[in-house]
Amino acid sequence: MLKTADQISVTQTVIIKEIIDSPLKLNLMELGFLPGKSITLRHSAPMGGPMAFQLDETILALRKNEASLIKVQLL
Amino acid sequence: MNKPNTPISALKIPKIAIIGNPNVGKSTIFNQLTGLNQKIGNYPGVTVDKKIGVMNYQGNTYEIIDLPGTYSLNPNSEDEIIANRVLNQSNEAEKPEFVLMVIDSSQLSRGLFLATQLMDLGLSLAIVLNMADISAKRNITIKTFEIFKALRVPILSTDARGEKGLDQIRELIHTRNFSKKGDFIAIEEVVPITLLDEFQTKFQLPNHYQAYQMLRFGRVDKIISQEDRDWIKAKLEELNFDLEAAQLEETKIRYKKITKIVELAVVKELTVKKKKYSIDQIFLHPIFGYLIFAAILLVMFQAIFAWASVPMDLIDGFFAELSGRVNNYLPSGPLANLISEGLIPGIGGVVIFIPQIAMLFGFLAILEDTGYMSRVVFLMDRWMRPYGLHGKSVVPLISGVACAIPAVMAARNIGNWKEKIITIMVTPLMSCSARLPVYVILIGLVVPDKTIGVINLQALTLLGLYFLGILGVLGTAFLLKNILKTTEKSFLMVELPSYRAPRWLDVLLTMYSKSKTFVLEAGKIILAISVVLWVLASYGPSNRMDEIRTEGEIKLATATNPMQVDEIEAETSSLLLENSFMGIMGRGIEPVIRPLGYDWKIGIALIASFAAREVFVSTIATIYSIGGDPEDDLTIRQKLNQQIRPNGEKVYNTATAFSLMVFYAFAMQCMSTIAVVYRETKGWKWPLIQTAYMTGLAYLSAFLVYQILS
Repeated sequence: MLKTADQISVTQTVIIKEIIDSPLKLNLMELGFLPGKSITLRHSAPMGGPMAFQLDETILALRKNEASLIKVQLL
Repeated sequence: MNKPNTPISALKIPKIAIIGNPNVGKSTIFNQLTGLNQKIGNYPGVTVDKKIGVMNYQGNTYEIIDLPGTYSLNPNSEDEIIANRVLNQSNEAEKPEFVLMVIDSSQLSRGLFLATQLMDLGLSLAIVLNMADISAKRNITIKTFEIFKALRVPILSTDARGEKGLDQIRELIHTRNFSKKGDFIAIEEVVPITLLDEFQTKFQLPNHYQAYQMLRFGRVDKIISQEDRDWIKAKLEELNFDLEAAQLEETKIRYKKITKIVELAVVKELTVKKKKYSIDQIFLHPIFGYLIFAAILLVMFQAIFAWASVPMDLIDGFFAELSGRVNNYLPSGPLANLISEGLIPGIGGVVIFIPQIAMLFGFLAILEDTGYMSRVVFLMDRWMRPYGLHGKSVVPLISGVACAIPAVMAARNIGNWKEKIITIMVTPLMSCSARLPVYVILIGLVVPDKTIGVINLQALTLLGLYFLGILGVLGTAFLLKNILKTTEKSFLMVELPSYRAPRWLDVLLTMYSKSKTFVLEAGKIILAISVVLWVLASYGPSNRMDEIRTEGEIKLATATNPMQVDEIEAETSSLLLENSFMGIMGRGIEPVIRPLGYDWKIGIALIASFAAREVFVSTIATIYSIGGDPEDDLTIRQKLNQQIRPNGEKVYNTATAFSLMVFYAFAMQCMSTIAVVYRETKGWKWPLIQTAYMTGLAYLSAFLVYQILS
């Protein structure tokens, strides 16, 4: 099932399918959000605040807006 | 590889640039290599600090350039523009000979992404794999040789948090163990070769990747001439070249190659994955996270208030003493007055801010270094965004409660231009500690010291004034959010690094360099304005000033007891101020400020306290010839209470006092803030708009308050 990364719940691990075209696509890819990588949602700030994903060994925080650019495949 | 024994002219100091991703310990290496031999300057056209240091090793001198932390050399922000500008410039004299690339060994692929871009630029490179300790803790082993095999550039594994490894870095620089390998990927795969050739010839660049960088940065780096920028733009349009697609393609190809290297080089130990308990489960908790943040702030500001007041009092005392001694020592005359009453207090007025600046930045450096700061951004971003601010705006805003000067300086690391400008514009509206003396005097004058239930009316008024400041901040930010236009997209992509102990050397150096920057850059303006204000307050247009002085001296001669001496002296200085240029200006603005409930004496205090808000109190003390200790609230209060208007009403009635408090809540009334905004925005545009806006807002609000209450 395909979703975007802002829709997953804390502790859920998913595989990145693709990054949706947008001016931020390049920034996301540079950080290592690449198709095929697995990410885990670690924390989510209250009231629709930023989300912190684990990617390899790092935790990266994104706004919901940016997370919605990441199409993911549920495991 | 460059031969270590290449003869180098004694005059030419080798330049080495240090570059790396954010949070990889790059600045620690820079600090340890250079110590106090650092200089902070400016790059033209941007707000990024230029950090250059000198390293001495085995009798040789090296210049080290600390470039801002970036993830790539793509034109995303000012940081990347600067990194590209320094590494890719045509000016051979300015260009670093060698580049030291710092990679966090637990973030190998992200680091290699930038490193391989540097290789493609054709730079002489060496890689430092930093933080070996942390990756060891995470059960990762890195086979450095595999990376070397793939890249063919020297690689050093170190832990810069300890001394270990640092000598190796010095030795590496000393032996010039850098290597120019070139071409990790073929940029010709994503950009038409004819286009690259054309750029390479036009700008006389050594390789295709540099041509590609010119093609990308030509549109954004203002240092490139308008003519060239137009040419680049026309070229890209002419060929209908999709730059964005090319950049994405480059990123994919690069990461693909890097992934292969990393697969060979990194060995993760497959231990049983135990569910590790993360401290962030508390620190980022929806409730406890905020409570902890509030507690940290409380401790921080308590400490700043408690600790900064000691050195501040010492500085105050020292300059007062110095001023007095110089006055006694020099033959009296205009020069002695200028030095003892204009210059020395002016310099004192700059130095007095150092304890607060150093302490605030000390705390901020600790929060940054431990990794907590990005957690603050994570927690606060959602609450700042509706007002056009960023999670990073929290720190400047809250620091504004202590003092707007370090607070505005702390807005430095907000990447987005619009968010940074809004933060700088609203921060001085927070109620800073210099407003407190003004509030205390006026509240004491008109608000009864009564308690209703458990609430003290005076405390309630003070709290109200703080809320008024916050209201001003949010309202203004919201207004600016809708006025300011930008094409830059606001985003938040921030790493939450692992927690670690602060590196005290880095903390100390931050405190030192921030104070130095303030003194050198904002200090000049503050000193200039304070001398101007002093001249206005001590000189007048007529010989009336001299007459007053002579009269005062005659009266003094007849004085019989110390009480009388005090009285006469106070009266004389009051008369002098009345007849000075500033006194005349005070009378001049009376028609304008009458609707706010102020007379010309208050007008003088308004002009004088443009230097700093707390000057209001001492000026009022002089105007009403309050002798004795001008810091004594009670004497001032009694005296102010006795001031009567021609119609028999009190000057400081409730309406006037509240009007004044509201005026001071909003008005700029702080030349140091103006100076620091000038420094941070690199121009007069924003400080002038800000001063005009704040004064206008203060005037209107004070007008409304007075008209409603009177």
